[in-house]
Amino acid sequence: MTHRQQQLLGATRRHFLGDCFVGLGSVALGGLLAESAAQAAPSVQPPNPLAPRPPHFTAKAKRVVYLFMSGAPSQFETWLWRPKLRELDGQETPDSFLDGKRFAFMERFTEQRPKLLGPQRDFRQHGQSGAWVSDVFPHMASIVDEMAFVHSLHTENFNHAPAKLFFNTGSTRYGRPSMGSWITYGLGSEASDLPAFVVLRSGEQNLMGGANIWGSGFLPTAYQGVEFLRTSDPIPNLSTPRGFSRRQQRARVEAVRELNQARLEAVGDPEIATRIAAYELAYRMQSSGPELMDLASESQSTLDLYGAVPGESSFANNCLVARRLLERGTRFVQLYHTGWDHHGNRVNNLADKLDEVALEVDRASAALVTDLRQRGLLEDTLVVWGGEFGRTPMGEIQELPGRNHHIENFPMWFAGAGIKAGQTVGEVDDLGFFITKDPVEVHDVQATILHLLGLDHTRLTFRHQGREFRLTDIGGRVIRQLLA
Amino acid sequence: MSARLLIWPLFPALAMAQATPGPPFSPEGIQFFETAVRPTLHSQCSQCHNDRLRTSGLSVASRQGLLEGGNRGPAIAPGNPGGSLLLSAVRHAGALQMPAGGKLAETAVVAIERWIEIGAPWPEAAAEGRGRPARQHWAFEAISRPEPPRLAEGEWAESPIDRFVLARLRSAGLRPSPPASRETLIRRLYLDLAGVLPTPGEVSAFAEDGRPDAYQRLVERVLASPHYGERWGRHWLDMARYADSNGYNADGERQIWMYRDWVIDALNRDLPFDRFVVEQLAGDLLPNPSRQQLVATGFHRNTLLNLEGGVDFEQYRVESVVDRVDVTGIAFLGLSLGCARCHDHKFDPISQREFYEFFAFFNNIDELSGDFNNQEGRARAFEPVLEFGTEDQYRRRDAIRAQLEVMKREQAAYQESLLERQPEWESGLSPDQIAALPLGVRRILRTAPEERLTQRAGVLRNAFLAQDLGVQERRKAIAAVTALLPEIPRTLVMRELPVARPTHVLVQGDFLRKGEPVRPATPAVLPPMEIDNPTRLDLARWLVDRRNPLTPRVTVNRVWQRYFGAGIVATSNDFGSQGEAPSHPGLLDWLAADFVDSGWSMKRLHRRIVTSATYRQQSLHRDDLAEADPQNRLLGRQNRLRVESEIVRDLALSASGLLAGRIGGPSVFPAQPPGVMIRKPWPESKGANRYRRGMYTHFWRTSPHPGLMLFDSPDALTIATRRGRSTTPLQALTLLNDTGFHEFAQGLALRLRAETQGRDIADRATHAFRICLGRDPSAPELQGLVSLAAGQLDEFTTHPERAGKALTLSVPDDADRPELAAWTAVGSVLLNLDEFITRE
Repeated sequence: MTHRQQQLLGATRRHFLGDCFVGLGSVALGGLLAESAAQAAPSVQPPNPLAPRPPHFTAKAKRVVYLFMSGAPSQFETWLWRPKLRELDGQETPDSFLDGKRFAFMERFTEQRPKLLGPQRDFRQHGQSGAWVSDVFPHMASIVDEMAFVHSLHTENFNHAPAKLFFNTGSTRYGRPSMGSWITYGLGSEASDLPAFVVLRSGEQNLMGGANIWGSGFLPTAYQGVEFLRTSDPIPNLSTPRGFSRRQQRARVEAVRELNQARLEAVGDPEIATRIAAYELAYRMQSSGPELMDLASESQSTLDLYGAVPGESSFANNCLVARRLLERGTRFVQLYHTGWDHHGNRVNNLADKLDEVALEVDRASAALVTDLRQRGLLEDTLVVWGGEFGRTPMGEIQELPGRNHHIENFPMWFAGAGIKAGQTVGEVDDLGFFITKDPVEVHDVQATILHLLGLDHTRLTFRHQGREFRLTDIGGRVIRQLLA
Repeated sequence: MSARLLIWPLFPALAMAQATPGPPFSPEGIQFFETAVRPTLHSQCSQCHNDRLRTSGLSVASRQGLLEGGNRGPAIAPGNPGGSLLLSAVRHAGALQMPAGGKLAETAVVAIERWIEIGAPWPEAAAEGRGRPARQHWAFEAISRPEPPRLAEGEWAESPIDRFVLARLRSAGLRPSPPASRETLIRRLYLDLAGVLPTPGEVSAFAEDGRPDAYQRLVERVLASPHYGERWGRHWLDMARYADSNGYNADGERQIWMYRDWVIDALNRDLPFDRFVVEQLAGDLLPNPSRQQLVATGFHRNTLLNLEGGVDFEQYRVESVVDRVDVTGIAFLGLSLGCARCHDHKFDPISQREFYEFFAFFNNIDELSGDFNNQEGRARAFEPVLEFGTEDQYRRRDAIRAQLEVMKREQAAYQESLLERQPEWESGLSPDQIAALPLGVRRILRTAPEERLTQRAGVLRNAFLAQDLGVQERRKAIAAVTALLPEIPRTLVMRELPVARPTHVLVQGDFLRKGEPVRPATPAVLPPMEIDNPTRLDLARWLVDRRNPLTPRVTVNRVWQRYFGAGIVATSNDFGSQGEAPSHPGLLDWLAADFVDSGWSMKRLHRRIVTSATYRQQSLHRDDLAEADPQNRLLGRQNRLRVESEIVRDLALSASGLLAGRIGGPSVFPAQPPGVMIRKPWPESKGANRYRRGMYTHFWRTSPHPGLMLFDSPDALTIATRRGRSTTPLQALTLLNDTGFHEFAQGLALRLRAETQGRDIADRATHAFRICLGRDPSAPELQGLVSLAAGQLDEFTTHPERAGKALTLSVPDDADRPELAAWTAVGSVLLNLDEFITRE
């Protein structure tokens, strides 16, 4: 019963709960369930909402980095080799595959029937596991034995924003907490000088869905993702105003602390103590933030491994920053890279744009896994890679080759803590329309990530509007095959 | 130790219930079921074992269903856990092991055992089936006008409110707190009613006002300020999910600020709340509506609009209607009707059919019918809109449109005449010319003409036309004329379709799966509407009908929560069975009845509350209260409340002297950290518009101003009845370092210079303290500020070039820059204090 924790928090931090304030009416019942509460939910130590908390059971992973490929990469040009589709390139799509199915941009289908589009890239087998990888990913192909693939993901909504919300919050509608928020709520923070949940964005296109996909929803805002911006000042307002020396800034912060302390003694509100602590962390972040972002302190060989260039804004830099965050105690780092929505227009296509985005992503994704392995961090760090849905076996009728949104199957990969690498879960039919074996749902991915962090997804709950909510809503099964 | 041992001493009422298994059940037993058992049945069992699927013959949707059981016999034997199949299944004690997905948490199992043991209590309405009122739930009962408790003469309790509060405190053996000081009181009142600071002069005038009605006079003055409409208007806009953009992927700009201004104006003229509701929900259906009454209907046009390529617009129109049902349910009835979208409400007596009957009221707006997957369609996607142009603007627009029409016709003819030369152009292209063409065009050129698909042929034709000088000239001319179109202010409004859209139950909430047809109606659990073929206007009037107990209760409760941090019903968005019971039921009903009887005057309601002794108490911590009533539900003192995001800004602005007083108008773009707006325009405002109140900041739904979000502004995606109050390091960084707040601190330094010319450093520090906190500093506080000022002055005097950098506002020529920079630092410290952003 997280309910009980909410009461504990509420007793010491009155306003902490926002909309979910629990009052006297249920105190008696809270007492009734006191013991069960202690067993069932992470014990929150008031008043610090970010204090580290033990997991439900022994965790395989201490931290997670999630590389989200925004826009939905085509499985047929990346991880799913369908020779049959190449054979039938340009042919009519069999009726049996289209009847009763709905796709985005449906009205175009009625003008001209879309034809099957063969894979636009060649595939080869790699590693001990013999996994098929397209030629757009030479670097990731070289580490396939570190990865476990799932080929049989499917999802619910074929529009980007809702599908992305679903992956990030467990619901296609707005208002639910993101996965990183749930994890921070469940486990607290191990980073004293940095946020526990950080978001890094790259790519030139609109992320779609915006800040809501890393928001804390109805959870207290202390758990929301902190976005580092794509500027010279990645944490907003980290720099002291021009003209003020560090000593002057310290004097300002010191004066704020003294006056707040005097007020705390006068009125006795523990919320003031929380604010004093927040100013201390803010001041520490003014030093730890620039140090964190100082990629020039990395060796040239590390920079080369990622393809990172200090001072630039890129996916490669973000991967390197992610590793530095994980080393410094940040628990959940969420990267988003846009540019995968390859419909077949000039901006998004499988002709040249696929290569561009693959080039931006391939080397750094592989480098992150390799670097974590070399530093002994991969054993307890989970790496996740994937988009919000897949793309159709049919091509689109457009200027350039491209594919439409497809929610019936798409791949992801996992590496690191607790993952049984070198395998592929799930199977898809010869043309890549539908899953034929071991379907995996988005909620299953979420349940599995929580499981690896030592959290039972059915027990990590928060009471809101009269019911217990959880990340996986009413679904979710841990993907046992994936686990070591 | 098992949970059972703990239960007994703590819950005697449950023990009573156990002695007599079966109905009627004690409220405690029902609450135990609702809290500890029903969520488990709902989330773990009812996916398969519901009334529709009845897997293995079993449904857990009702007590009867469990008693009847499934193929294996009854699932429960009330009072006999050992003989209940449900328990042995969830215990994994026998062959049948449930749920299939894995064993339940032990706590859930123990709760089920306990529940069966005490007779399996289940609320009556749910047990008897759908559509019947839950008679016992307090919120659905008529409002009584209870007599305030009688207390002996001369006591603390001055108003009826206080008599309710004091009686409750007494019964808990507690006493209220003494009244706050005059200085605290005036700041409290200004922050609550106007959202700006009182000036030091206003504070001292009130502190010295010896008239017996000094406080009442103050209340009247602040209520009459136009800032009142802004302050309370912003609370209402949280309910209306007001924003300046469409949301979803594209999140394009929209114009609906006139609706925001309507709200401010309606509150300032104290439009009675019943009319306030009717005009917003159905102003367009009133007889001969005024233009302002049409503007008011923007309330339900604040829904999101998905203009992503390829969407099915019907799907998102349905989402908008669902949102209107959600918002209407929560804002006026305190009921989460949205829960019944896909299935009957699990906790409250609202069926899925009733959800769609309510949905039908809002399903008839003349919006989003047609195809919008093209440029012209996109422009129409905002309709219906109301325009506010001048005669001259309309005339100019008509003329320009006519001119454009002619130009486009001529352009089309010209292009047509060119096309015969296209093959010639294609064959005559040199390799260099081809290389300069876009990749897509190059690919098409490699395909034989007869094999090109129609759409690809269009691409080639466009490339051909684009290189023709005549085409280029015409395109430029058309763009130039288009740019002359006058910008006519407009706002989104409601308009009813002449012929009603048929409404169906949507199976599982899916807009493609139409079930049985339904007609507009209100849920059976609420007072009947008694109108044939009711319209949206009838719905609005029904919401504020005297017989409807929910709207006044929900409304006064929400007002109350703004003053005390929590409502009398703490779950201000949920008055249903999962909501919390009121802490002071008599007070809630008295306020609701008084509100309706007074003609729904909001100002009168505010006056009632802020003149009460309960409101005027000190907010100081008291050990005895912390022990007996840690959440201060009994109001033995006031609560300290960190002000809302917009007010954080407004207070700093009003301390700085920079605040621009203009009320309403198009949204503005105050400074924000670089790099936040990546795909959205942010033409940073200059001049007075840079210093407008926080509520006028342009709100992009997918990329809101960080200064708002860091201080817990709602995301404007759907209704917010309450805001969070977080305390984070990023807030600290904002107040310390943000460009905007740095400017406000400079403004404060300039103001100090003007108001304390020629006075010493201690006098100036005292004045700064009074401006920001409305009180005199204590000796140590003053000492702290003085030494800070001295230290900063020292550094800036040694490094005058740094003082120049620190000052980004223009300063008078004769100003002492190091001194101004030093006082900027002092001012910034005051703007960062917990006390500064807190309503004491």
